[in-house]
Amino acid sequence: MSDFAAGSPANRPQPQPGINPNEARFQAPTDEPLLLRWSLIAIAAFFLILLVFAPLTAVFAEALSKGWGAAVKSLQSREAISAIKLTLLVAAIVVPLNAVFGIAAAWFITKFDFRGKAFLITLIDLPFSVSPVVAGLCIVLLFGANTAIGAWLVANGFPIVFALPGIVLATVFVTFPFVARELIPVMIEQGRAEEEAALTLGASGWRTFFTVTLPNIRWALLYGLLLCNARAMGEFGAVAVVSGKRESATTMPLRIEMFYNEYLSVAAFSLAGLLAFFALLTLLLKTWLESRHADALSASRRGH
Amino acid sequence: MGRPLVHRSPMPGLGLSAGITLTMLSLVVILPIGALVLQGASFGIAGIWDTIHRERVWKALFLSFRISLYAALFNLVFGVILAWVLARYSFPGRRILDAAVDLPFALPTAVAGIALTALYAPNGLFGAAWKDHIAPALNIALEVPAYILNLVAVPLGFEAFVFEVPPRIAYATPGIFIALVFVGLPFVARTVQPVIHEIEREVEEASATLGASRYYTLARVIWPMLMPAALTGFALSLARAVGEYGSVIFIAGNKPLLTEIAPLLVVIQLEQFNYDNAAAIGIAMLVISFAMLLVINLIQVWSRRRIGYV
Repeated sequence: MSDFAAGSPANRPQPQPGINPNEARFQAPTDEPLLLRWSLIAIAAFFLILLVFAPLTAVFAEALSKGWGAAVKSLQSREAISAIKLTLLVAAIVVPLNAVFGIAAAWFITKFDFRGKAFLITLIDLPFSVSPVVAGLCIVLLFGANTAIGAWLVANGFPIVFALPGIVLATVFVTFPFVARELIPVMIEQGRAEEEAALTLGASGWRTFFTVTLPNIRWALLYGLLLCNARAMGEFGAVAVVSGKRESATTMPLRIEMFYNEYLSVAAFSLAGLLAFFALLTLLLKTWLESRHADALSASRRGH
Repeated sequence: MGRPLVHRSPMPGLGLSAGITLTMLSLVVILPIGALVLQGASFGIAGIWDTIHRERVWKALFLSFRISLYAALFNLVFGVILAWVLARYSFPGRRILDAAVDLPFALPTAVAGIALTALYAPNGLFGAAWKDHIAPALNIALEVPAYILNLVAVPLGFEAFVFEVPPRIAYATPGIFIALVFVGLPFVARTVQPVIHEIEREVEEASATLGASRYYTLARVIWPMLMPAALTGFALSLARAVGEYGSVIFIAGNKPLLTEIAPLLVVIQLEQFNYDNAAAIGIAMLVISFAMLLVINLIQVWSRRRIGYV
C-alpha cells in the first residue's frame, strides 16, 4: 500500500533533466504543493504529540518521579497486587469466553443463510454504541440485590453485582463485538468452498473446523482477541458501576482511581504505567500482525 | 409458504453455533438492556421526563452532548487530515505516528484520564504554560478583533464585546473536550484511511488533465469519495464521546451544573441507591445512542447506494 505514497518516485512522472530549468521545484499534478504537504504533516504530528505522546510520557514520568524503588514498592502493596490479580483473572475468563462466542457467531453468520441476519449483526454490534456506564446500570438492574433474580442469587450464595461474576458480565458486554467483527469479514471473504471440500472428502464437522477453518482465521482471531484483551483489562465505567467500589471487587483501573483520589500519585501512576506498558505491547503485536499477516486480516486492517 | 427461517445447508454445527450465539447474546446483551427498558416502561414517559427535567440532569445531558459534538467535529477534521497524511505522504516517523493513532483504543481510559489531568492541570506542564503564557497572549491578540467589532457595535447600541479564552483547561469544560477528543481520535482516521488507499490515482490524473487545480480536485473529486467514511467515523466518535466516563471524570472537576457529565450522574444516582433516577437517565442516554446507531446505518446505506462500497 505504501507504494501509493506520494513520496515514492516510481509513481511520479520524472522531470526530464536539462529540459526544465526549474526541475528541483517540479510538482506532479497529483501532489499537493510542498508547503501544504508539510503543513498537514506538522498539524498531524503536533496534535498527536499533544494528545497521545505527551500523556504516555507523563504516565511513566509521574510513576518514576520518586525513582524506580518507590514505583516498584507501590506495585507490591497489598491493594495493588490484589487489583493486578483480579484484572488478570477477569481477562483470563473474558477472553476465552469471547473467543468461543466470536467463533460461534461468525460461523453461524457466515456458513448459514437465515432470515434476520442483518438484525443479528446489529445486535452483536450494539454494545459499541451503549455507554459502558449504562451497560453496568443494566446489569445492576437485572441482577442487583433489589431484583427478584438478584435476591434469589444472593440468598443462594451466588451474588453477581458487587462481585466477580458482575465484573465478568460487564466486561463481556463491553468487549462483546470485538472477535466476531474481526472474523466475519474474513470468513465471508474466504467463502465456504474449502469446508465443503473437506466435508465431501469425509471429514467430520470438528475436524473440518480444526484443520480447515481455524488455520484460515487464526490471525484474525488473534487480532480480535488482542483488542478484546486490551479492553477487558482497561474497562472502567461498566466495571465501576457493578463493583460498587468494594475492596474485594477492585480491578486495576478502579484501584488507579482510588490511589489517585487518595493523593497517592506514585502508586496511581505506577499502576497506570503497568497498564500503559500492556497497551504498548498490544500496539506492538497489532502492528506486527498488520504488517506480517495482513492478507489474513479483514480488509480494513490492512495496509497501514 | 414464505421463505424458510434457515436455509438447508450441508455445513455442520448449525445447532451448536446458533445456540452459543443466541444464548450469550440473550444473557449478556438482550436481558440486561431489556431490564433497563422494562424499568423505564414501568414509570412511563412522564416519569422519565420528570427526572430528566430537573436542572442538574438536563444540564449534564446537554453538557455531555455539546462537548461530545465539539470533540467529534474536531476529530472529523483532524481525522481526515491524519488519514491523508498517513496514507499519502512518506516522511520520517510516519510509522510511529500511524501506530500512535491506535493508542486511545489500547490505553485504558482511567490511565488516559489521570495522564491528561497531570499534563493539563494548572500546575501541569501544558496547563501551566496555558495559564501563564498562552492564554494571556491569546487574550491580548483577541483584543484586536474585539476593538474592531466594537468600533461598529458600540455606536449601534450593542454592549462592548470582550473576547477571552478560558483561563484553565483541566477542571473546566476545555478539559472535558480534550479527554473526549482523545478517546474518539482513532475513529475517523481509521475509517477514512482504507478508503484513501482504494482511490485510484487515475481519477486524480484525469481531473488534473482536464484542467482542475489540485485544490479543486481535492474538494470536488477526493472529498466526495471520503465523505461517507468520514461521517461514519464522526458518528462513531460522537457515540463514544457521549457515553465516555473513565477519562472525563478525572479531568472534568465534576462540579454540579457546570462540569458534571451525564454518565457521572448515573453513577452518583446508583451510589445513592436511587435506581429509578439512574434508570431514567440511562434510558435517555440509551435513546440517544440508538438514534445515533440509526444515523450510522442510514449513512452506510446511503453511501453504498452512492458509491457502491463503504
